[in-house]
Amino acid sequence: MNSPSTETTSGPPWDTPPASSAESAAGQGRASEPGRGQGFLPGRSGLVIPLVLAGISTYLVYGMVTMTVPENTDFPGPRFYPMLLAIVGYVLAALLVLDVLRHPEKRDAEDAASYTFHSDWKAVAWLVGGFLLFALGIEFLGWIIAGALLFWCVARGVGSKRPVFDLSLALVFSSLIYLGFAVGLGLNLPSGLLGGL
Amino acid sequence: MESLNLLAEGFQGALTPMNLLWVLVGCLLGTAVGVLPGLGSSMAVALLLPMTFALDPTAAFIMFAGVYFGGLFGDSTMGILMNTPGQGSAIASTFEGHKMALAGRAPQALATAAIGAFIGGMTASLLVVFLAPRLAELSAMFGPQEYFALALFAFVATSSVVADSAVKGLASLVIGLAIATVGIDAMSGVERFTLGAPQIFDGISLITVTVAILALGEVLHVASRLKRERNPRQVNVKGRPFLKRHELKEAAPAWARGTAIGLPFGVIPVGGSEVPTFMAYDLERRLDRRRKDPQFGKGAIRGLAAPEAAGNATTGTAMGALLALGLPVSSTAAIMLAAFQQYGLQPGPLLFERSTDLVWPLLASFFVAMVVLLILNLPFAPLWAKLLLIPKPYLYAGITVFCGLGVYATSGRIFDLILLLALALLGFAMRRYGVPLAPLMIGMVLGPLAESSLRDALLSSGGDWSILVSGPIPLVLYGVLLLILAITVRSKVVNRTRRDV
Repeated sequence: MNSPSTETTSGPPWDTPPASSAESAAGQGRASEPGRGQGFLPGRSGLVIPLVLAGISTYLVYGMVTMTVPENTDFPGPRFYPMLLAIVGYVLAALLVLDVLRHPEKRDAEDAASYTFHSDWKAVAWLVGGFLLFALGIEFLGWIIAGALLFWCVARGVGSKRPVFDLSLALVFSSLIYLGFAVGLGLNLPSGLLGGL
Repeated sequence: MESLNLLAEGFQGALTPMNLLWVLVGCLLGTAVGVLPGLGSSMAVALLLPMTFALDPTAAFIMFAGVYFGGLFGDSTMGILMNTPGQGSAIASTFEGHKMALAGRAPQALATAAIGAFIGGMTASLLVVFLAPRLAELSAMFGPQEYFALALFAFVATSSVVADSAVKGLASLVIGLAIATVGIDAMSGVERFTLGAPQIFDGISLITVTVAILALGEVLHVASRLKRERNPRQVNVKGRPFLKRHELKEAAPAWARGTAIGLPFGVIPVGGSEVPTFMAYDLERRLDRRRKDPQFGKGAIRGLAAPEAAGNATTGTAMGALLALGLPVSSTAAIMLAAFQQYGLQPGPLLFERSTDLVWPLLASFFVAMVVLLILNLPFAPLWAKLLLIPKPYLYAGITVFCGLGVYATSGRIFDLILLLALALLGFAMRRYGVPLAPLMIGMVLGPLAESSLRDALLSSGGDWSILVSGPIPLVLYGVLLLILAITVRSKVVNRTRRDV
């Protein structure tokens, strides 16, 4: 339901290369813009999902191996259920890899200009960068400055063209939240730099 | 009769000025978020979840109920006017609803939707009042193998029935289950998958996961495609927002049929109201083909009335299943269950015994919320459309700041903010590649129950797996599950061969 455009692509049965090469290719697939050029990667950035799933399963296995379990634990111990999950995880990851290899996303030639389902990485970068700044700076800068910074970055990333106006709006917004939630409801929001004034 | 007395007491609790205010706030918020294109009620509830610690439980749940139902009302408003349903449950009503609007009957379409939602929701709430206590008594007999069957039922049904691809649904489920295993194992006290980080000894916070997957991930997804989407055009709303007698007569049987289809799906965990709304739509279309003058395709009032009633009927009985069994059937219900756990309450039989002062005002507030929403939506639907005037950059900036606020306020740690961002990127990737999110939420919420009941059952039987299928209740549950799967496979095959929507 989320992306109907991907459902209509039932491409020709591609030759399926061994899964190991697909795994290593997926790492680069995230970085490259999908749909550019005619190589192996375009349309196959969906390998990110099985990669994440396989990564989680591997983490579970690593955790089970390093886990310290008391000697006399009865049969279904703490390792039992994660083991089931890891097995199912690997199987599903393999199935997903097969699915992506057989049905890569295709870009409609007619629709190339409108990019209805390719991602706008610049906007995502503004959001992620802004949020990282916010997360790392909140205790030092304080809620008002860090929150305003986040607001400004997101607004800019989503396409606002008025940086100066945005800055004042962002400060008003974060100050209002501080007043409402920290002063009003008594939440513990850091005052940071402005606290000493 | 006992239920009626308790409900009357519940109304006394719900009709205090403060609680009425929370219903109103919830309905306003829910409708507002539902109206905004692309946002659904699950996001509204996710953003509100961190606020639970500032409110007492009754007030919080009353507000959540308002948001939940309000989101459904608002969603259909936008589906009808702009052809942009915010959640899967509004898609079925968009087909004929938007055509009605294009044909110049937008206000009547909005009224049909609002009344349909009201009828479905009211009927479901009534049913819940009488059936939920019985259901809770039944679940009092549940042992570990019954609970495991119930959890497995919810897992398989939500991840394979609702998702377009069963593999993707199950992948989402496994990710959710894996997240839930992190932390100290409740049964053996062993530290699992923490890498020695004390921040996650108690497990990964449900609030962080919910806000990340359902709110921040959604913002990332919307932002990544905003500039590349065509702007949907909005249909103007002019004229009478009420239905004439012949329109009421036309819609009434569809409302009734829709409600009847929707009611049972609240208890059958197939991931919320998407399936019943489509079933109701399909039934009306088939009936319509037999008439002398088929209306479908031209803006059939019945094609809108039935799915709306079905959607809200399902949502209503789903709340009953949540309260009586602790069984969430959609991501919004999963968040509500998370909220109960925040307060240290476990929905199920004990809730009806110990927390009557919470349960009955909550049930009563469903009725209040329905009335409030009908008043808010019937005459004022065009006003809600004005919310679209908020510039998108500021809307999403505001939502992002609220995500950060909620998570930092509940955890007070930078660690959780970084985790929030990482999980939001996961949620974004899942949306981008069409992996459903509801199974992840349900896995995260029900995972611990599934694990502990499975291990309890196996411990008590000394490792004998046949205990999982012993007793009538597990057998019935597995039987129904197989039946549902068979029907799904069949309908998927049929849909592939014949598509004319």
